[in-house]
Amino acid sequence: MNDFLELIVGATASGCVYALVALSYLLITRPTGIINFAVGEWAMLGAFGGFLVLSRAGLPYPVSMVLILAGMFLIGWATERLTVRPLVERGAPALAPILALLGMLVVFREIISVTVGPDPQPVPPAFGFGRLELGLVAGSYQSFFIITVTAVVFASVWYFFERTLAGKSFEAVAIDRRAASLMGINLRRVTALAFAASAAVAGLAGVLVAPNVAASYLMGVPLAIQGFTALVIGGVGRVEGALLGGMILAFVEQFTVRYAPIPPGLVQGVPLVLLILFLLVRPTGLLKAKT
Amino acid sequence: MKSLLKFIVAAVLLSSIAFMLGSYQTDVYRKVLLWVTLALSYNFLFGIAGQVAFSHFTFYGIGAYAIVILIFQVGLPLPLAILAGIAICVVLALVVAIPATRLDGFYLALATLAFAQLFIVVLDAGGKVTGSAGGLANYRLPDLFGIKVNGPWYTVVIVLLMLTTLATLWRLDRSYFGRACRAVRDDAEAAEAMGVNVVRTKIIAYTVTSAMAGIAGMVYAFVDNAVNPPIFGLENSFILLFMVIVGGSGRHAGAIIGAVLLYFIPLLLSPIIGHHHALVYGVFMVAVVLFQPKGLIGIWDWLKLRMKLRSRA
Repeated sequence: MNDFLELIVGATASGCVYALVALSYLLITRPTGIINFAVGEWAMLGAFGGFLVLSRAGLPYPVSMVLILAGMFLIGWATERLTVRPLVERGAPALAPILALLGMLVVFREIISVTVGPDPQPVPPAFGFGRLELGLVAGSYQSFFIITVTAVVFASVWYFFERTLAGKSFEAVAIDRRAASLMGINLRRVTALAFAASAAVAGLAGVLVAPNVAASYLMGVPLAIQGFTALVIGGVGRVEGALLGGMILAFVEQFTVRYAPIPPGLVQGVPLVLLILFLLVRPTGLLKAKT
Repeated sequence: MKSLLKFIVAAVLLSSIAFMLGSYQTDVYRKVLLWVTLALSYNFLFGIAGQVAFSHFTFYGIGAYAIVILIFQVGLPLPLAILAGIAICVVLALVVAIPATRLDGFYLALATLAFAQLFIVVLDAGGKVTGSAGGLANYRLPDLFGIKVNGPWYTVVIVLLMLTTLATLWRLDRSYFGRACRAVRDDAEAAEAMGVNVVRTKIIAYTVTSAMAGIAGMVYAFVDNAVNPPIFGLENSFILLFMVIVGGSGRHAGAIIGAVLLYFIPLLLSPIIGHHHALVYGVFMVAVVLFQPKGLIGIWDWLKLRMKLRSRA
């Protein structure tokens, strides 16, 4: 029983990381229709940000967090400015920005591989490596930290979209770009903000997951795949979908590792099969977009 | 008749190179030819039929593994193994294409990306059949009707593979089917209204090009005489995409230029920047998408147009 509950805490924590990456996709896809495969690399950059300011510079955790998020915000904004906006303004085909961002995926990864090197680097957890027991429920400090932070992020994103005017303008752009633009919404600003916020969320996911897996220049693509699997399961239209999809993916993953009678090598294939099944049977995901 | 003559001249020229090369150069020459072959068929799938699929290199791997397993574990003779290998590629391509082409845009990319990853997982977990992480090695190409094909003569086989792929795609591009593919790429609804069967066109384009990649993979299996999971990693599908875009998507000449250029970049740059050629790939890719959307072949077109205008003036 204890074992089972601990599994649940661990699965929830990794589900939260997937959910954050899925949210990062969603923040861009919703208003712009662009699918940005580079979000995984943004998470990787966040993790290396953690390595630089936490492990190298030894700054306190809250200060580091602010620095990393601000840095990621800037990177996301610059990515949009340099590679997406020129294409959109020229009226390039819808595929062009996606391809440019695929190129940026390689650029980000190789910059880290060239500057920091190919070896994995340690990133410390927020409260050390201790174990927290709350009655029957037990897990590492970092697991509980991840769950708390993710809850706060999703609550504030939900509040932003549902209760603020700026958030409503995002939603309006998502529903009808032209109409939104005619209503006086600044499409450029919405797009730039979407990229910046997406990069910050992805970077956060990277810093949170880094203590468990170490920061490595190759960590981006697996995270990107897990993130969009979560996104496809939950549905591209809703913020709650990202959270739901992340949880389902993590639970299926962890429970097959523990309980399913299949060879360990094939367990890695389970999320991929899940992704293919969802794409075929229900490409809109579990939650439908609001109309 | 004229094109047949061209084919023969090209085959003789490219084959004669094979007899002048040392062993390292032969290896490089063979790999370039294989990359060009793959880029040509991927160009048809991505550039002409407009499908963003990341499964092309996976079919190359499926072909390579299929032929090795069919000959050395099932015990089929070579000609039968080739036919069975093609059949496997076609069936798997249909399994992916029939449901996946119903999805549009990036969903197809996601489904094929998952398929590509799944292939590697299956290879790693395949036990004795696939040789797991170590792959399969130490096999030799069996005799074909009593003839031993090796050395430069095997390079000639690769030359013929490349030229046949090019000729087939060339004809296909200029047929009703090729125009249907372009119509579907540019506007599926309009194509449907004009009487093109969109779903069938997509499925055939995906299956034919994937089978071509599979055949190239079968030829590759006897180049290094070893197949293992890292050779067929996801990275290569990205490189293939970059080759087609850098060269000029939708153009056969573009695919050839892109494949040759991107293949030689790491070889030429490795003395200067070591293994960081991937960074050059990425920067190149972004620069081309931003500044030269028609690819390098677009520069050539522009030069040709200017020459023409100047000679008229």
